[in-house]
Amino acid sequence: MGELAAKKHVQYILSVEKRKDDLVSVVMEHLRMNGAYWGLTTLDLLGKLDNVDVDKVVSWVMECQHESGGFGGNIGHDPHILYTLSAVQILALFDKLNVLDVDKVTNYIAGLQNEDGSFSGDMWGEVDTRFSYISLCCLSILRRLNKINAEKAVNYIVSCKNLDGGFGSTPGGESHAGQIFCCVGALALTGSLHHIDKDLLGWWLCERQVKSGGLNGRPEKLPDVCYSWWVLSSLIMIDRVHWINKEKLVQYILDCQDTENGGISDRPDDAVDVYHTYFGVAGLSLLEYPGLKAIDPAYALPVDVVNRIFFGK
Amino acid sequence: MKEEKESNSESKSADLLHQFEQILESNPLIDEVGFIHPSQFAKLYEEAGDDIAIPSSADATFWSRDHKLGVSTQVLLPLYTAAKHAFMAAIGEYKRFGDDVVSDDRVESEVMMHSRALLLLSSDFGTAWNSRKLVVSKKQHLSKFMDELLLSELVLSYSPKSDHAWSHRRWVIKLVGGKCSTLQEIVRKESELVEKIAERSKMNYRAWNHRCWLVSYMTREQVLHELKKSRNWAELHVADNCCFHYRSRLMLRILKDLSCKQENASSDYVEIHKVWKEELDWNEMLIKRYIGREALWLHRRFLSLCWMEQFATDLCNASCHSEQKTSISTVFGSFVDNELRLLDSCSTVLSNDFDDFQAQATLSATYILWLTKQIPEFQSELQEKKLTAGNLKSMLSKMCPERSCLWDSLMGLDGNV
Repeated sequence: MGELAAKKHVQYILSVEKRKDDLVSVVMEHLRMNGAYWGLTTLDLLGKLDNVDVDKVVSWVMECQHESGGFGGNIGHDPHILYTLSAVQILALFDKLNVLDVDKVTNYIAGLQNEDGSFSGDMWGEVDTRFSYISLCCLSILRRLNKINAEKAVNYIVSCKNLDGGFGSTPGGESHAGQIFCCVGALALTGSLHHIDKDLLGWWLCERQVKSGGLNGRPEKLPDVCYSWWVLSSLIMIDRVHWINKEKLVQYILDCQDTENGGISDRPDDAVDVYHTYFGVAGLSLLEYPGLKAIDPAYALPVDVVNRIFFGK
Repeated sequence: MKEEKESNSESKSADLLHQFEQILESNPLIDEVGFIHPSQFAKLYEEAGDDIAIPSSADATFWSRDHKLGVSTQVLLPLYTAAKHAFMAAIGEYKRFGDDVVSDDRVESEVMMHSRALLLLSSDFGTAWNSRKLVVSKKQHLSKFMDELLLSELVLSYSPKSDHAWSHRRWVIKLVGGKCSTLQEIVRKESELVEKIAERSKMNYRAWNHRCWLVSYMTREQVLHELKKSRNWAELHVADNCCFHYRSRLMLRILKDLSCKQENASSDYVEIHKVWKEELDWNEMLIKRYIGREALWLHRRFLSLCWMEQFATDLCNASCHSEQKTSISTVFGSFVDNELRLLDSCSTVLSNDFDDFQAQATLSATYILWLTKQIPEFQSELQEKKLTAGNLKSMLSKMCPERSCLWDSLMGLDGNV
């Protein structure tokens, strides 16, 4: 059985950060904030966050903030709630939440809540349960959940529940492991997990494990390392993680590593990227793989970071 | 020396962008964009019967014919960089004008031109989509809104999963929906577009999500029509769970309409009963024809659950007459009989060599177990028919040992459901 090539992954992430002029990295520049969160959280889980120049990152993050309080995916890009959460999470990793004007960010997010409790992603009004999770997670980190109507937010999420126990992006939308993570996470953050039929949802989630040990995100799909996070964290939050075969999943994730140049891909022998590297390492962390920091399944941040936010230690 | 080289390459990139935008401008009917490797250019010219002026692969940058546009993968990086710089400069200028000035037509058309070029190279560049929303919503011309649907469609031709391109369509439709009389027509065309894209891009969540979103804008006639039409598609794509989910969405919409409506409810009830029965029969036929398909069995879970809740479990309802009760109980009994026959015919593993038969057996037993967990009446009926959880559990443990943790938890170690 292979082992986690931790050193190589650290090198890989640091190299991606420096690479700015090939096609793959430029067409991703609009979501660099997400990329930074994936890369930095991976480094932290591997215990190597001190390889990063904190001031440089923090000042770049703050340059992406707009007058409205929201953050863009990069400097000069429009704000969106997707990047706002990543920005807040990055600052939390570095214990730099104090640089934020908390009321300003809170107002931005609270202003995106709709009458029915749902959240828009930005001023243009697209609604998605992903945005509900992001809003609740962000406000919870900033300790401002009281600034929105949490009850309505919960009711909206519950209205997106399907008969198979899963959740979609809007009412009547197909169940998808990524959306399920968002909905379960949002309900967990608001203490509302009682709205979930845990056996029913747990069953659907553990049916995502395929023969190779990997997890898919929907029926009939190929396995993909990123679902190691979406499915596994959901199963943990609803206390059904013992329903899947953990050893086989660990093996599957390890099989997706590029042991020569570092990085993790969606499936064995595919090209690696930061996104899958993060979800692979985060998945292993949830599986209590030795040598990794523990990650919190709802906040998607290392447990010590979450503890620091809430207990100041 | 270095500076000279850089500015030289910058002006080359600007030329490329200009050329690209010219092609787009001169042919508004372009309906498909793709990126092609330089070595494929010669082949494209050959196939089109152009024996004149075949450019050498080093010069080949764009290829356009029959409203299709090919862009060489070799120029993508400089082209993207030029488009992004041009767009950022234009939107910066546009925003500086602010709301108080009737903005300059030139700046506005530059924003539209460069954002289009950029989005055809990077489909999820949100700021470029937003800039178009900004310009178009200031204009409030119906035709401008409809142009946005065309651009989004063009982007989807090379990037069918683009979240932003789909979302842009919903933004347009929400705005024009209230204003124009053609909403039903738009909904019809949108649904066709999803079907066209789903054909090339299998199990495309974003595409089908868009189609599900359309359901709330449909008339009852449209819902029934969609149900009919998507059936053929589903038959040809039995592993595509998205389409079955779409059908369940349509069917739930019909059910919901019934519960909201009082007049003529009984004739509608009969019709819905028929729709459900036909779907169950059709699904059973597919299950037997296509062995071991997860999506078919999950659809059956949905159908059976709703069927029992809707048509066969009013047994305890006090307002029921005893005649009705007897008939419901007969319906329920024969439903359970049928499902058990299906289990029987699907759980015989003909040969251990075939994964599909193994999968079929597992899926059928899981299906029955799933129903017992969701519908208590189903479980009691099973016990009368002498199918115990112990039987199911030993079947599942044998056929699908990798999920033994799940079976143990669901049925207890001793096999009690």
